[in-house]
Amino acid sequence: MNAAGPGYPTGAAPDLVFSCRDVSVELPHQDGVRRILADISLELRRGEFLTVVGPSGTGKTTLLRVLGGLTASTRGAVYVNGRLIDGPPADVVIVFQDYSHALLQWRTVARNVAFGLEGKLPRNEIDDRVRDALRLVRLDGHDDDYPWQLSGGMQQRVQIARALALRPAVLLMDEPFAALDAMTKAQLQDELHRLRDATGSSFVFVTHDIEEAVYLGDRVAVITGAPGRIERSVAVDLPKPRDQVVTRQMPKFLELRYLLHQAIGQSEHA
Amino acid sequence: MRDLGRMLVRVNWLGLATITLGFAFWEILLRAGFAQYQNLPAPSAIANGLVEITSSGQLLADTLHTLRAVLVGWAAALVLGVAIGLLLGASNTLRRYSLASIEILRPMPGIAFAPVALLLFGFSLQMELMVIILPALWPVLINTMGAVMGVHARLFEVGRTFRLSRGEILRKIMLPAALPGVLVGARLSMTLALVLAIVAEMVGNPAGLGDAVVREQQAMRPELVFAYVVVIGALGVILNAALTGAVAVLFPAASGRLREAG
Amino acid sequence: MDGEPKTRGVAGQLRSVLASLPPARGLLPLILLLLVWQLLQPGPSPYFPGPSQWWTATLTLFGREHLVAAFGATTWTFLKGLVLAIVAGTMLGVLVGVSDRAARALQPLLEFMRAIPPPVTVPVASLLIGYSESMKLTVVVLSALWPILLNATSAVRQIDPLLLDVARSFRLTAWQRMRRIILPAIVPSLLLGIRIAIPLAIVVTLLVEMLTSLPGIGALMIRSQRNFQSSEVYALLVLVGLFGFVVNDLFAVIEGVIMRRWPPRS
Repeated sequence: MNAAGPGYPTGAAPDLVFSCRDVSVELPHQDGVRRILADISLELRRGEFLTVVGPSGTGKTTLLRVLGGLTASTRGAVYVNGRLIDGPPADVVIVFQDYSHALLQWRTVARNVAFGLEGKLPRNEIDDRVRDALRLVRLDGHDDDYPWQLSGGMQQRVQIARALALRPAVLLMDEPFAALDAMTKAQLQDELHRLRDATGSSFVFVTHDIEEAVYLGDRVAVITGAPGRIERSVAVDLPKPRDQVVTRQMPKFLELRYLLHQAIGQSEHA
Repeated sequence: MRDLGRMLVRVNWLGLATITLGFAFWEILLRAGFAQYQNLPAPSAIANGLVEITSSGQLLADTLHTLRAVLVGWAAALVLGVAIGLLLGASNTLRRYSLASIEILRPMPGIAFAPVALLLFGFSLQMELMVIILPALWPVLINTMGAVMGVHARLFEVGRTFRLSRGEILRKIMLPAALPGVLVGARLSMTLALVLAIVAEMVGNPAGLGDAVVREQQAMRPELVFAYVVVIGALGVILNAALTGAVAVLFPAASGRLREAG
Repeated sequence: MDGEPKTRGVAGQLRSVLASLPPARGLLPLILLLLVWQLLQPGPSPYFPGPSQWWTATLTLFGREHLVAAFGATTWTFLKGLVLAIVAGTMLGVLVGVSDRAARALQPLLEFMRAIPPPVTVPVASLLIGYSESMKLTVVVLSALWPILLNATSAVRQIDPLLLDVARSFRLTAWQRMRRIILPAIVPSLLLGIRIAIPLAIVVTLLVEMLTSLPGIGALMIRSQRNFQSSEVYALLVLVGLFGFVVNDLFAVIEGVIMRRWPPRS
C-alpha cells in the first residue's frame, strides 16, 4: 500500500471507502475528560460527496480528524477500505481551513503541491502530477509563485491541489471555504464539483453553512448536541450539474434546507 | 530621467542641510577661535585624520583585527545558539530543565567577562572571543528557541496527514519554518558581537579598533579618535547591510517573508 | 462581567511575576556546573578557582576593599544616569516626534548616533571632559539615551490620529494635550526603550570604571585582575551578574505595575 494512490488488496475493490462503527471520542478537558462525539456510525461510498453540517462546537472537526487519523477515537473503530486505521491512512488527505498555516509559505506553489509525493515517486512523475493538479484547480502558470503572494482563494486551491496530487481515495475538508468571501466561495464550490467528477475521489466536507452543505453534497449528515451525535442523514437528490442560481431556487433545495434547519433546531416554525 | 527625479525627491534634503550646516558651524567656531575646546577637532581635521590612518595602513590593520574577532565570535555564537535553541525549542523537558539557568546567565554584562578573560588568556584573540561569544549567544538562542516553539501546530499536522517521518518533519517543516526567527537572532547577535569586540579591545587586548580609539585618546590625538569613531559606526552599518544582503541571496523565500512581516 | 481580571496592586504584580518565572528545576544545569567546578578544582588554581573560593574572596573584598562602597558607587552612577536618560530621552524624543521638521532635520544625526556603539563614547568623553564623575555620568546618560529617545519618537508618531482629533475637539492646550494624551500613550514604548537601555547603562558604567579606575565595581575588577587575584575576579563577576539579574527583574515588576492599566499585549 503506497501513499501515491488508492491501492486496494487485489481482488477486493470495496465500495465502502469509510466505515465508522460506534465511534466515540473523549478529549482531555479542564478537570478530566469531555465526550465530544458519541456513537457515530457512518459510511462513505466510492465517489460519494458527504457533507457534515452542524452548529459550532458539536465536534464536526473532531470527526474529521478521527477519519483522518490525527485524533484517536476512544471507542469504536474506523475502517478505511476495509482496514482499521491507526494514524493517518495512506489514501486519505485533510484540507484545513487555515490555508496560510497549512501551506509551507517558504516553498513555491509547485513545491507545495509536490510535498506529499516527495521521496515516494520518481522525479518526473511528481512533476507530471503537480502539473495535472495545478491545471485541475486552474492555477497553471503560478508554479513559481509563493503562497504569500496569492489571494486567500488561490491559496486554498493550492492546498486542494496538494491533496489531489496524491490521487487520494478520500479528501477530508474542514470548512475550507469559511474564511473566504462569498464570491470566491461560490467559485470554489463549483470547482469542487468539477474536481470530484474529474478525479472520482470521495469527499467528506464539514461546514456550518446549511446551504453549502445541500448544494455540495450527495448526502448530508447532521451533527448536533453535546456530545455530538448524528441526528439525521439525508440524501440530496438534486440534479447535476448543480448551478449556483438555478439549483438554489429549486423547491427540493428549499425543502432540504428547511429540513436541515429543523434538524439542527434553528427553525422556529416546527 | 524621471527615476532620477523620483530618487531626488526621496532624499532627506532638510536633514542633509542641517548636518552640513552643523558641520560648517562647527568648523567655523573652531577656526574663529570662539570655542576653545582644545580637544574638540574640526571636521576638516577629522577628515585629514581619516586620510592619515588610511594611508599609513593602520586603519586597515585595526579594522581587519576587529573584523576577524567579530566574525569568528559571531560564527561561534551562531552555531552554539542555533544548536541549543533548536534543542530547547523542540523539547519541553530540556527547556524546563534549563530556562531558569538561562534567565540567570543572560543578564550578565559581557564586559564583566573581560577581566576573567584577561586572566585566562592574557592579550590575545581568545580573550576577545571569550568576551564576545557568551553574550552574543543569547539573542540567537532565544530567537531560535522562540522560532521553533512558534511553528504553527497546523504545519506539524500537515506533516502527519501526509505521513512524513519524524526526520522529514524536522527537516522539511520545522527548520524552514523557524528560519526567519533564527535570522533575526543572527542579526541582533552580529551587532552585539561588534560592540563586545570593541569593548574587549578597549579594556583588554591591545589591538583592533577598540584599542585604537583608546590609544589615540591617550596619545592626545583627538582628530584620530573621532576618525576611528566614524569608522566604527560605518563598520556597524556595513556589517548589517552585508548580512541583510547575504540573507536575501541565500534565503530568498525567508527574505520575502521577513519583508512581508515588516 | 467579561474581560480581564481587575487591575492588580503591587503585591499582585509581584505574585504574577513570580508565577511567570521559569520552573526552578531549570536551575539544575547551573547548579551542576558549580558543583562539578567545585569538585574538580585542583587546589587553589590561579585560573579556575572553585565557587568556595569565590565566597572567601568576596569576604576579603568586603573587608579590605570596601566592596560596599564600590558597589554603591556603581549603582548610584547607574541609577542617576538612567533617570537622566529617561527624562532627557523622553523630552527630546517627544519633541522630535511631534515636529515633522525637527525629525527630518535631525534624522541623519540620530541615525549616526544610533550606529555608534555606546562604549565608544567613553574615550571620546574622556578626551573632551577629562576623567571625572561628571564624565562618567555623561557617558552613561548618552549611552542609555538613544533607545529611549528613538522609542519615544516612534511612539509619538504612532499615536492614533483619532486621539489627536479628540484633543482638538476638546480644545486642549498643547500642555494639556502633552500631559493627558501624548505622554500616557507612549508609556509602553518608553518602557520597552528603558528595558533596552538598562543593560547598556550597566555596561558603560562598568566600562568607564575599568578604563579610568574611577571608583566602582569595574575598577575593583581590573585591580583584582592586575593583581592576579582570580577568585576575586570571579567573585565580582558573580556579583555583577546578580546585580544585572536583580535590576532586570525589579524593572519587570515596575513595568508590570505601570502597565496594569493597559490592555494586555498580544
